[in-house]
Amino acid sequence: METLFLLIPLSVVLVLAIIGVFWWALYNGQYDNLEREGERILKND
Amino acid sequence: MLHRMANSTVVGQAALAVPGSPMPEPPAGLAGLLGQHRGPLTVDDDFLVLDDPLEQEDFSHPLEVDGRTLQESILMVQGMYCPACTETVEAALAGRKGVVSVLVHAATRRVTLRWDPAQTLLSELARDVGQTGYRLLPMRHALSVEQRLAETRLLMWRLFVAGFCTMQVMMYSWPFYITEPGEIEPVYDQLLRMANWMLSVPVVMFSSMPFFQSAWRDLRHGRIGMDMPVSIGILVTFIASTGATFDPTGVWGHEIWFDSLTMFVFFLLGGRYLQSRLRDRTAGSLDALMNRLPEQCERQLADGGFEIVSLKRLRVGDVLRVQAGQAFPGDATVLGDSATVDEALLTGESQPVTRLRGQSVVAGSYNLAGAALVRIDKIGRDTRFGQIVSLMEQASTEKPDLVKLADRIAGPFLVLVLLSAGFGAWYWWQIDPALAVPIAVAVLVVTCPCALALSTPSAMLASAGALAQRGILVRRLLAFEALCKIDTVVFDKTGTLTQDRVVLREVIARPGLEREQALRMAWPLASASLHPVSRAIAVQAQPLASAPNPSQPSAAPSSAPAAEPVDLVQERPGAGLVLERAGGVQWRLGSAALCELDEAQLLEQGRSVADSPCAYLCDEHGWVATFVMDEGVRADAPAAVAELRAMGFAVHLLSGDRLGAVQRVAQQLGIEQVVAAASPERKLEVVAALQQQGAQIAMVGDGMNDGPVLARAQVSFALGHGAPLTQSQSDFVVQSGRLSELVQTVRQARRTLRILKQNLCWAGGYNASMVPLAIAGYVPPWLAGLGMALSSFVVIGNAMRLSRLPDMPVPDPAAAAAALSVR
Amino acid sequence: MSAITADALSRAHSDAQTGIYNDKVVRQFSVMAVVWGVVGMLVGVTIAAQMIWPALNLGQFGLEWFSFGRLRPLHTNAVIFAFGGCVLFATSYYVVQRTCQTRLFLGPLAAFTFWGWQLVIVLAAITLPLGLTSGKEYAELIWPIDILITAVWVSYAVVFFGTLATRKIKHIYVANWFFGAFILAVALLHVVNSAAVPTSFWHAYSAYAGVQDAMIQWWYGHNAVGFFLTAGFLGIMYYFIPKQAERPIYSYRLSIVHFWALIFTYMWAGPHHLHYTALPDWTQSIGMVFSLILLAPSWGGMINGIMTLSGAWHKLRDDPILRFLIVSLSFYGMSTFEGPMMAIKTVNALSHYTDWTIGHVHSGALGWVGLISMGALYFLIPRLFGQKKMYSVPAIELHFWIACVGIVLYIAAMWIAGVTQGLMWRALAEDGTLAYTFSESVRATYPFYAIRLVGGAMYFSGMCIMAWNVWMTVRMGLKAGPVPQVRIPAVDPVHA
Repeated sequence: METLFLLIPLSVVLVLAIIGVFWWALYNGQYDNLEREGERILKND
Repeated sequence: MLHRMANSTVVGQAALAVPGSPMPEPPAGLAGLLGQHRGPLTVDDDFLVLDDPLEQEDFSHPLEVDGRTLQESILMVQGMYCPACTETVEAALAGRKGVVSVLVHAATRRVTLRWDPAQTLLSELARDVGQTGYRLLPMRHALSVEQRLAETRLLMWRLFVAGFCTMQVMMYSWPFYITEPGEIEPVYDQLLRMANWMLSVPVVMFSSMPFFQSAWRDLRHGRIGMDMPVSIGILVTFIASTGATFDPTGVWGHEIWFDSLTMFVFFLLGGRYLQSRLRDRTAGSLDALMNRLPEQCERQLADGGFEIVSLKRLRVGDVLRVQAGQAFPGDATVLGDSATVDEALLTGESQPVTRLRGQSVVAGSYNLAGAALVRIDKIGRDTRFGQIVSLMEQASTEKPDLVKLADRIAGPFLVLVLLSAGFGAWYWWQIDPALAVPIAVAVLVVTCPCALALSTPSAMLASAGALAQRGILVRRLLAFEALCKIDTVVFDKTGTLTQDRVVLREVIARPGLEREQALRMAWPLASASLHPVSRAIAVQAQPLASAPNPSQPSAAPSSAPAAEPVDLVQERPGAGLVLERAGGVQWRLGSAALCELDEAQLLEQGRSVADSPCAYLCDEHGWVATFVMDEGVRADAPAAVAELRAMGFAVHLLSGDRLGAVQRVAQQLGIEQVVAAASPERKLEVVAALQQQGAQIAMVGDGMNDGPVLARAQVSFALGHGAPLTQSQSDFVVQSGRLSELVQTVRQARRTLRILKQNLCWAGGYNASMVPLAIAGYVPPWLAGLGMALSSFVVIGNAMRLSRLPDMPVPDPAAAAAALSVR
Repeated sequence: MSAITADALSRAHSDAQTGIYNDKVVRQFSVMAVVWGVVGMLVGVTIAAQMIWPALNLGQFGLEWFSFGRLRPLHTNAVIFAFGGCVLFATSYYVVQRTCQTRLFLGPLAAFTFWGWQLVIVLAAITLPLGLTSGKEYAELIWPIDILITAVWVSYAVVFFGTLATRKIKHIYVANWFFGAFILAVALLHVVNSAAVPTSFWHAYSAYAGVQDAMIQWWYGHNAVGFFLTAGFLGIMYYFIPKQAERPIYSYRLSIVHFWALIFTYMWAGPHHLHYTALPDWTQSIGMVFSLILLAPSWGGMINGIMTLSGAWHKLRDDPILRFLIVSLSFYGMSTFEGPMMAIKTVNALSHYTDWTIGHVHSGALGWVGLISMGALYFLIPRLFGQKKMYSVPAIELHFWIACVGIVLYIAAMWIAGVTQGLMWRALAEDGTLAYTFSESVRATYPFYAIRLVGGAMYFSGMCIMAWNVWMTVRMGLKAGPVPQVRIPAVDPVHA
């Protein structure tokens, strides 16, 4: 199952990347004030 | 209570949502309403105190952005009751010059404002918001709030990392569960292990840090805390598994437990995170209670004029002019002729008191009649007010953290676990050394402290959450336990068992005169005073006063307090009001002495009522009408007291008011043990004496004078309308003021403890059975991990049963709001 | 500076900043989505008919490019990448602009994605019937086209993420997270799976071989379903349902959790396509377990979407567009339940290679992907062409009912056919030999192929009704005047 040499490390890298993205989202304030954001799309356009 | 007037505006009738609770649905047609959406308050403060740099230190800090120095201020918004309010507040601020950014956080009513001090003033911005019906207040402890939020955010991130890695580790561990050794080719076996190891590293190095930090702190203090077994478990498991990964034939054995490890950390962190969120919510709502405009007052200058200063700038010896409705900021000496003050906050006296020139007024009491000139004698901690606060802080016993409850169990447990693991290792070393470490580790892993660690917090948090939805705030989770032990309930009277102001019960009028006419006649006098009796009469007379009436001395049709110039009405402290009309006609409203009437004679004539406070109205001919006052007992008080007695509690009444008034109320409620005319110190003595006799006391109160005794009692309930300081020190805050909630809380506490015991039994039983099995070598790693997970689920699931209160209907928020706004 | 001048200046400044949304490319993709929908479904009906009347293969005329084997991949590519792809492009470009309140980044590059993607489709329509194929399911296109796809996809990513990077609203709406994940995942999947060693312009060998290739293929295949057909369309759901229902998503917080839970569970579900093959047992088992776990986040998303109507269910009665959107979610729920069930090895032992798999695919494709796409297009088209509503609302109603009946007929027929096949294929006589011949099983399932054809034809005719309705709407819109230029609302930077 040599593909595992590709798939497993690839998924580990992906996990770390995803964690990094979440970190950015959290500290960028994406998850503050969630109650309002759901309604925001109803206001524009 | 009159203390609400410190903010000098009447709070509107609109549904003020219970702070901390989720906001109700906005009115239908969100889009359409946004244009005219307004807040419920009438705001006429000038907010100048917000510009004072000394005040700003509390809630603002400077910020360098693009070379400009901005200010970032954290403020509370008062009056928000639905999501649309957020838009209105933001819109009010966003367009203003000097505002760089504004963000309103609906759930906590907090607004973060960045503004340019070179272009605008905070007072201007606050006034603009005030125009739309909301009031901005500085956020007390704003900076610590920020810090608290940052902590919760960090915890959320740790949790996410743990959760994410757990999922992946589970994926890579799955093959090991379902295959025989050797079924997976060694190279892939190793690949899977390496992947597991790599994904566990962040969990141990980053996510687990709170446990390590706390365990290290405990260790330095020579204590054993709950985080100790957790930390040891994590570290040993990780080290052993790392060893097994890189050196499978070595001393660490061949088994890896990265799956158990990561799952374990994830669950524990989950519990911590929920606890943190609950703390934020509760603290946030208490912040809402604590936040008021910084006090300011008029200080006399050398030239005789007056300047407005914030209280922080006051010094002993300053001469102040305190307006009607303001609190005295310090202990002071009366310099004018006299001052009529309301000391109810401190002494519980329901009648106002007169202080003459040279006499002292106490800090925190309210000036009732006209501007009073006083000289400050003591400020801050030195005042009576400050002393009471100190009393409270001294009297309050150390309230241990939730974690420490689990610590009581953790100590012996940890020792037991270590001994078992050590024993297992030693035992198997004799038989088969290769198994020694794996089995010891298995013992550590399987004896999941997480069931123990989770059982208490999950039960308490679920309970607290359920209560919070009903507007009962739980400030101290351990109070649930204490509440189950109490056998005595002590009530304050004024504002707790009774409505917090006098109510006009009856009008006895001169023959030929209707009740309504008497009220209309009294209106111009009553409306000119802040005296509780006057206000009681005014409330009922006001609707009638709008209608024209020829016999009325002078109609005041406006709905505001009488537009009639106040100087036509004279207030005589301790006596009443006198109205001089053009032509020498004089009306009087007040005591029998003021009206030159003989009270005993009136009683005989049936024109007065014994035992109730009465105010008399007379004109130049004599007696016109008698207004009989009542301190209304709360509608739900009799039922609540009866219920408590039925549940087996001894009920006492402890009040600072006069004996007659107290006995009247006690009789209505069926309370036999009564102590009246008690000062805060006396109340403390009474409670201490009861406690010495072995009573476990729950105290229910609302005022500042209840503060020390609330702290002293084993459990304390504060009612939502009471003094903010009292609320912030109590175990439970019943925001609706409904006494029936007390009973509900007691029942919930008992349920909580029952479930907690169930959880502990389960956790204990699980551990007790699994440890011997693990030592005996019967627990393979997958079973250990699985058992630990299931064990946690059982505990959490059981605790979830507490998150809804049984059979009580969810209170109608409008009704709750109405209850709150009727003051 | 006087107050008046300052005001005028700031007004001018904000005028320059607000511009117009780039709806041209949205219009183009929306219209082509309808066109390719008709084409792709027509091919589907054709091949369904061929399974009943093999003469329709037109072999006797020597027209090998009309044979089933050539047309089937044309059908799958057309409905997934042409129809589904155009819908995703159109909606993602629309949503990202409006939720970020900014114009699409690098408009010319967006235009390239349109023309490039149409070229890919046309090339597919030419090469596949000609028999030029890589042999990998849902990745049949030959390597030169794969490179074009890569170019278009990279451009798509640049446009999309560039728009996010230049957004005026700080918060990134949840739909954009789903779109972003879909774009990145598809890029990764495509590059890895299409890795090949060319031997000529028309042919290449896969970089992987044997069961390794199978593993990679189905890692790709299932994630294509998971990200292209699920995550991408969930992004559509999270925007268009609230907009059409005029209510916010039931729980915005849940949608965030849903997103994170979904993306990291999907990665390892692939092996469930390879049960009882040469793939190692333990790898198959991972696939099984994680397919089962996938059920939870999927249903979380479904509930979130459906409950948006909580307190306003009456809207379903009056609004057929909303019905398309909400009913699509119930099919989503059904498919994401059926899928994990089928991933269980014992169930799979019966269902593998049978028509049950086809049934499952089509309940997801027709029920979830199809209906949500139609709902979204019915929302978009009028607005894109300056109309208040579609030309004929009764036609939408008709479309809805025909489509639903068609779906039910289709999947019921395939369930029965599939289970029949599975049972017949595994049935053993007393002596241990197979009880039925293959052709006996074909005969048994034959009537259900006819029912499937009817169901598919109904669905196709619904699509035709939609095409007509869209045509009439567009015509009316174009006759009424130039297409609308929608101003981007000025965003107050103070509370973005």
